[in-house]
Amino acid sequence: MADALRFIDVHKSFGAVRALSGVSFSVTRGEAHACVGENGAGKSTLLKILAGTVRPDRGEIEIDGARVDHASPREALAGGVGMVFQERLAFPNLSVTANIFAGREVTRAGGRLDEPAMRARTAQLLADLHLAVSPDVRMEHVSAAHAQLVQVARALAFDCRILVLDEPTTSLTDAEVDHLFHVLGQLKAKGVTLLFVSHRLPEVFRLCDRMTVLRDGRFVGTFVTADTTPDAIVRAMVGREPPERVPRPTPAATGPPALAVQGLSGPPWFEDVSLEVRAGEIVGLFGLVGSGRSELVETIFGLRAPASGTMAVNGREVRPASAREAMRAGLALVPEDRQRLGLHFDLAIRHNLVLPRAVKAGGRRIDTRAETAVAEAEVAALGIRTPSVAARPGTLSGGNQQKVVAGRWLATKPTVLLLDEPTKGVDVGAKFEIHNIIRRRAAERMACLMVSSDLPEVLALADRIVVMREGRLQGEIAGSEATEEAVMRLATHDTKAAT
Amino acid sequence: MTRVWRAREFSTLAILAGELLFFVWYLWPESGPHTFWNQGNLLLILKYSSIYGIAAIGAAIVIISGGIDLAPGAVIALTTVVIGYVFVESGWPLLASCAAGMLVGVGAGLVSAWLVVRVGLPPFIATLGVLGIWRGTAFIITQARFYDLSAKLPRNWEVAGVSIDWLGPVVMVVCAVVFQRLMTGYQWGRSILSVGGNETAALFSGIPVARVKMTAYVIAGLLASASGVVLAIVGGQGKADLASGYELDIIASAVVGGASLAGGRGSVAGAVLGALIFGVLRNGLTQIPGATFYDRLIVGVAVIVIVVMDQVLTRRDTGA
Repeated sequence: MADALRFIDVHKSFGAVRALSGVSFSVTRGEAHACVGENGAGKSTLLKILAGTVRPDRGEIEIDGARVDHASPREALAGGVGMVFQERLAFPNLSVTANIFAGREVTRAGGRLDEPAMRARTAQLLADLHLAVSPDVRMEHVSAAHAQLVQVARALAFDCRILVLDEPTTSLTDAEVDHLFHVLGQLKAKGVTLLFVSHRLPEVFRLCDRMTVLRDGRFVGTFVTADTTPDAIVRAMVGREPPERVPRPTPAATGPPALAVQGLSGPPWFEDVSLEVRAGEIVGLFGLVGSGRSELVETIFGLRAPASGTMAVNGREVRPASAREAMRAGLALVPEDRQRLGLHFDLAIRHNLVLPRAVKAGGRRIDTRAETAVAEAEVAALGIRTPSVAARPGTLSGGNQQKVVAGRWLATKPTVLLLDEPTKGVDVGAKFEIHNIIRRRAAERMACLMVSSDLPEVLALADRIVVMREGRLQGEIAGSEATEEAVMRLATHDTKAAT
Repeated sequence: MTRVWRAREFSTLAILAGELLFFVWYLWPESGPHTFWNQGNLLLILKYSSIYGIAAIGAAIVIISGGIDLAPGAVIALTTVVIGYVFVESGWPLLASCAAGMLVGVGAGLVSAWLVVRVGLPPFIATLGVLGIWRGTAFIITQARFYDLSAKLPRNWEVAGVSIDWLGPVVMVVCAVVFQRLMTGYQWGRSILSVGGNETAALFSGIPVARVKMTAYVIAGLLASASGVVLAIVGGQGKADLASGYELDIIASAVVGGASLAGGRGSVAGAVLGALIFGVLRNGLTQIPGATFYDRLIVGVAVIVIVVMDQVLTRRDTGA
């Protein structure tokens, strides 16, 4: 078994931060190899070195036994290393064809672009990937899943021998993941070596032959998939046992529900949605991307106007026309995209934490001392690891940023907490901590409605699971009786066809 | 993709045609010749539009690459001053003087490019500073005088039987054709679009992002000085306060022609059409009694209306 790729004692520091200290491992030719680890473990730095955007301080990389030193992405591409990043690394303004050939256009004599040749090659590649996308359509009109596959096509256009995939499934539905994995399986059969980076362990176990675990910039071990378990990998990634689950009492069964939604419609996203959340209860709202879940919680939070339907908090009818009114009615929403919607990256963590609370209170003068006290209390309560409340959110890891997002809304002491993908893109350790934060608040009688595409997460947290598909509620399953299969059946298939 | 760009240019062309029709109708004379729709006036429009139309081609390229260039007005003025100095004061031949003027543009472009790409200043700040430097240099050279080129140039000058007034329009059309082709059919143009569309992705695609951005600023400088050469010859003056405020007309032409300030979108042909839209508007308004005072206001409103219309149309186009 020859090694397609070898990392030999790779070191890299950014200032005082040691991103990689002496990482060595090898990837066999033609295998699917996973690189897993928590955020900050050094995976992305390793990939950047391979892609030629970062130079290592020390150490070597070998491809097919020959030492390589990628000084630029161009050299890496020329060396047969294809990269598939998250979909943000596409050109929205260019056609699919132009995206695939960006930087390596086919030209005729005289330097003119040979559009017909590029278009024909693109059509061929898309057909090979069973991708029903026109080569001429602009990338901004291509769905996230297809954009991901276009990047695979891009790597293949240049006959890559090693295909690196960095979190390629973050915004894909299960059916789309199946398609991607099917394609990757075919590539592997053709002898392409895959290096797969993902937070989603079930996918890693499904696709990869072996997996290498990194922790704090160090190599922990390489495991053969058939001989290990997800629990063992999590232990290796976290370096400690996962924290105990916070126990909590069963939610109240009597009295008016904390949140009652009746016949709520917001075309074209969702229609005639009715649901209840009781004090102390965690309700999981599961559905595939595009099923209208995010739009539903945004409507409940007053960010969108419903076409019809009513809502009540603690039995009192509310119809918030803005987030501010929703907050005053006792609602809070931890939004999905923390980079875009969740945090003010130019403000100190202290200001981030107290902003919604201050908006809710509606005061004018800022009491700096009180503000700092509240912020410090939240930092302690949520276990946010930050040098000080004056630091900026950008300096924190993804998991700690997400805790700040949750914290700023918990500080408003809501009756009903709406959460949209609360652990998207955070590492395993932070995920457990965020789950415990949610459990603890539910135990303190807060009503939680959690949107998540992460099925294990929904199963682990929710007392009840409500499933949504194409804008309509498909049914409800008690958390204790729910299985992955039962929930997925509701979320994907026609209920009649399934029985 | 070509079809999409072309569609956008057609809408710009439609606005221009509509505007021409309006002035032809509104200024229809009760008797005698038409004061708007005649060869002399149309040449006048072309002559004045070409001054910022040529520079607008460069501005569009910078904007498509995701940057902005505020310096062209000042570069135009400095070019006329340098041409005036060497042609009138030092007695250089005209061609050599014009070459010296073009060097001003290349130099100015290199300075902007260096500040943006190497020093890493935001393009708005870098070119705002550079704008002051070149305008200031022009004032220092002229010391409140101006160079009169017209005295040394032939009166009613004709080249191959064509009036020198056609110099601007000809340069503008030639540059538009050349750069439109470069932008749509060559690797360089594709890299400009790529860098403007997503700079990180361009870097990861192996596109030499720094070099591509530098070429955009240098070409913008070169085309601004080409405007300056035309202005010096046709206007017959080298003067430090020429082309004041042109940077806004130049950027507005590019934007009305479809260039997106977010980068990644726009066209060279559109920028030239945008320049003509403003040229026609200015010329027509001066012929409507009392409307001259509304000139700047109407131009300002036109920019907003045209760009909003474009956004509405684009939104419908994407079906969002």
